[in-house]
Amino acid sequence: MGSNSLTLAPAPRSAAAEQVREEVRAFLAEELAAGSFTTSVDTWLSGVDPAFSRKLGERGWLGMTWPEEYGGHERTAMERYAVTEELLAAGAPVAAHWIADRQSGPNLLRYGTEAQRTEILPRIAAGECFFVIGMSEPDSGSDLASIRTRATRNGDGDWVVNGAKVWTSNAHTSHYAITLVRTSPADPANRHAGLSQLLVDLSLPGITVNPIRILDGGHHFNEVVFDDVVVPGDMLLGEEGNGWHQVTAELAFERSGPERFLSTYPLVAEFARRVAADPDPAGLAALGRLSARLLALRQMSLRIAAALDRGELPDIPAALVKDVGTTFEADVIDEVRRAVDVVASLDSPDPLGRALAEAQLHAPGYTLRGGTNEILRGIVARGLGLR
Amino acid sequence: MSDVDLVVETVRDILSAHEPFVLTADRPWDAGLWAALAEAGLTGVGLPEEAGGSGGELADAVAIVATLAQGAAAVPVAEQLLVAAPAVLAADLDLPAPDEPLSIAVDGAVTAEPRDDGDGPGSWTLTGTATDVAWAGVAQHLVVLATSPVGPVLALVDVTGRETTHAANLAGEPRGSLVFDGVTCAGALLTDRQATELRARYALARAVQLSAALEQVLAWTVQYAGERVQFGRPLGRFQAIQMELAEMAGEVTAVAALVDAAVQATERGESLVAAAAAAKVRAGAAVEVVARLAHQVHGAIGFTQEHRLHHLTRRCWSWRDEAGTELAWSRVLGERLLADGPDGLWPALTRVV
Repeated sequence: MGSNSLTLAPAPRSAAAEQVREEVRAFLAEELAAGSFTTSVDTWLSGVDPAFSRKLGERGWLGMTWPEEYGGHERTAMERYAVTEELLAAGAPVAAHWIADRQSGPNLLRYGTEAQRTEILPRIAAGECFFVIGMSEPDSGSDLASIRTRATRNGDGDWVVNGAKVWTSNAHTSHYAITLVRTSPADPANRHAGLSQLLVDLSLPGITVNPIRILDGGHHFNEVVFDDVVVPGDMLLGEEGNGWHQVTAELAFERSGPERFLSTYPLVAEFARRVAADPDPAGLAALGRLSARLLALRQMSLRIAAALDRGELPDIPAALVKDVGTTFEADVIDEVRRAVDVVASLDSPDPLGRALAEAQLHAPGYTLRGGTNEILRGIVARGLGLR
Repeated sequence: MSDVDLVVETVRDILSAHEPFVLTADRPWDAGLWAALAEAGLTGVGLPEEAGGSGGELADAVAIVATLAQGAAAVPVAEQLLVAAPAVLAADLDLPAPDEPLSIAVDGAVTAEPRDDGDGPGSWTLTGTATDVAWAGVAQHLVVLATSPVGPVLALVDVTGRETTHAANLAGEPRGSLVFDGVTCAGALLTDRQATELRARYALARAVQLSAALEQVLAWTVQYAGERVQFGRPLGRFQAIQMELAEMAGEVTAVAALVDAAVQATERGESLVAAAAAAKVRAGAAVEVVARLAHQVHGAIGFTQEHRLHHLTRRCWSWRDEAGTELAWSRVLGERLLADGPDGLWPALTRVV
């Protein structure tokens, strides 16, 4: 039911997705039993484990929807949804490959040259090539069109890049940055013109990666400084000057997945264990309330996966899911605190206390990364016909 | 045009001749609207023709209920089509004529004593008080969920002319009590599971109404924000208002996604208790945000009976508490999700809908 542009058709049931879900569950149970990882919160940002990523690649769980000629597996977005959801729910270490698999690969498929695709996509699908997002800058956060990192052509037709990107998660463990740069001077009349995307090899001379520590002391963020970095001319991604359009499409992928409501799921699971051990009415009710919200978010996100399978790019519903989902991720913390006696501490002997601490110290990020919730609500307002 | 679209179109046509009004003790329902719906066969949709219904699927009945909820229609269609009539048929009792309003009572303390061997559809004696009865005084027939020495009983009582206490929900919809002092009626023994599923269907029916009503409230509020001009521009041009409307849209979309999924699970014949519980809890939680912001955007006029907004916000404030409160269903959902033990939450979540 419904008539506005925010509404998508319900997702059909997918037997293939349920099949692969069981396979992932069995794999995760084995890995947990073998001690190859320990569950933690927000692992798609903080759980860098290249060996784990390669295992996923070996099982065909990266690049799942891409064509086989580029190392992909030609499976549906619904199947990919099931795989990513299971990995996140288990708190598995998926950060190394997450950006490459989620958005850089699809961006390359859409806009890359044949050489770029052939060279890079099979390595992403194998879990051997990792990407970062080169969008935000010290003076450009939500106002992405105001970026100042510049790329100019030199006499050899190569690009010379100068500037700096920030909040580039895991640049110190990744291979490439899809970097949004200004390739012609800013035009006040058309702020979105003159931007382009470059595929930048992070090992190039002139690139400095400086750590920026987040609240729990973890090193995920970086500042990436470009000082006369010479990027080969054939590493332009897509069309010169089309960067704004490409970034917008990329963000639609970035915003649509289950990581936008499952970042704190390991805390919910730990809370459920506590309630199961002592099932008092307040705890059961809190678990029920959280679960009802989570179940609704799953259905919203599944609808987006189904829309992707239909060939749509549902950018406005994706913005809406991310707004509702990331709000939920943060709300989990206080719902748990109000229902049970627990003190948040990274050093707590109580796993619930540790999960709560991790979730709390990461919480400010949930509603900022990938477009702040204020930006998202602006997009939703456009979908409602208000702007 | 699909069958469902056709049904919706027909209901909208009928609704256009029946504006919602402020319900009072003297005028507690829209008898004219009911007559028009019954005339068109819409009070028997989703019920088999051989039982006296109009045929059609559950999806058609859900679409009717949703459309009527959007129109703030004061008629017992949700109770009849989605809860009471299917329960009567499932219990193998004789369905009353669909043009005679049939409602359901699940609260209070009513006991049933068997008048025969008591192990199948048969005759029972009802004693006690049914409370918070939707459309008490309006419904001609009532399905009563009673207790008996041998288990829960689904009793079907003709309550035409029976005295009811006057009580209403926040929207003025009748919610009085009925006293049974040894009333003879038809009934059937249920299993505990069937009784729980009946309550769950009632909750899901309210969730369907809430989802539809919340969507309409959003649509009205977006429309109002586009028309109302202050400081030289429509309200909807202000970023502060846009943020509020976007927040409302998030809630409405979440509710619709989950309620639709719960209805589909019911259509597939899957166990519906957890799905219905989740749908009811999520829909109820959304009322807080959507009704509050709708009134905030509408300003003072929305706080009066002169404006249409209250027809839906008052209903939403009540529906979220009815057919089992949000708190009660939250606990049920929590219990169900932990049924497989302390590590079973995630597999349970992926099975609910």
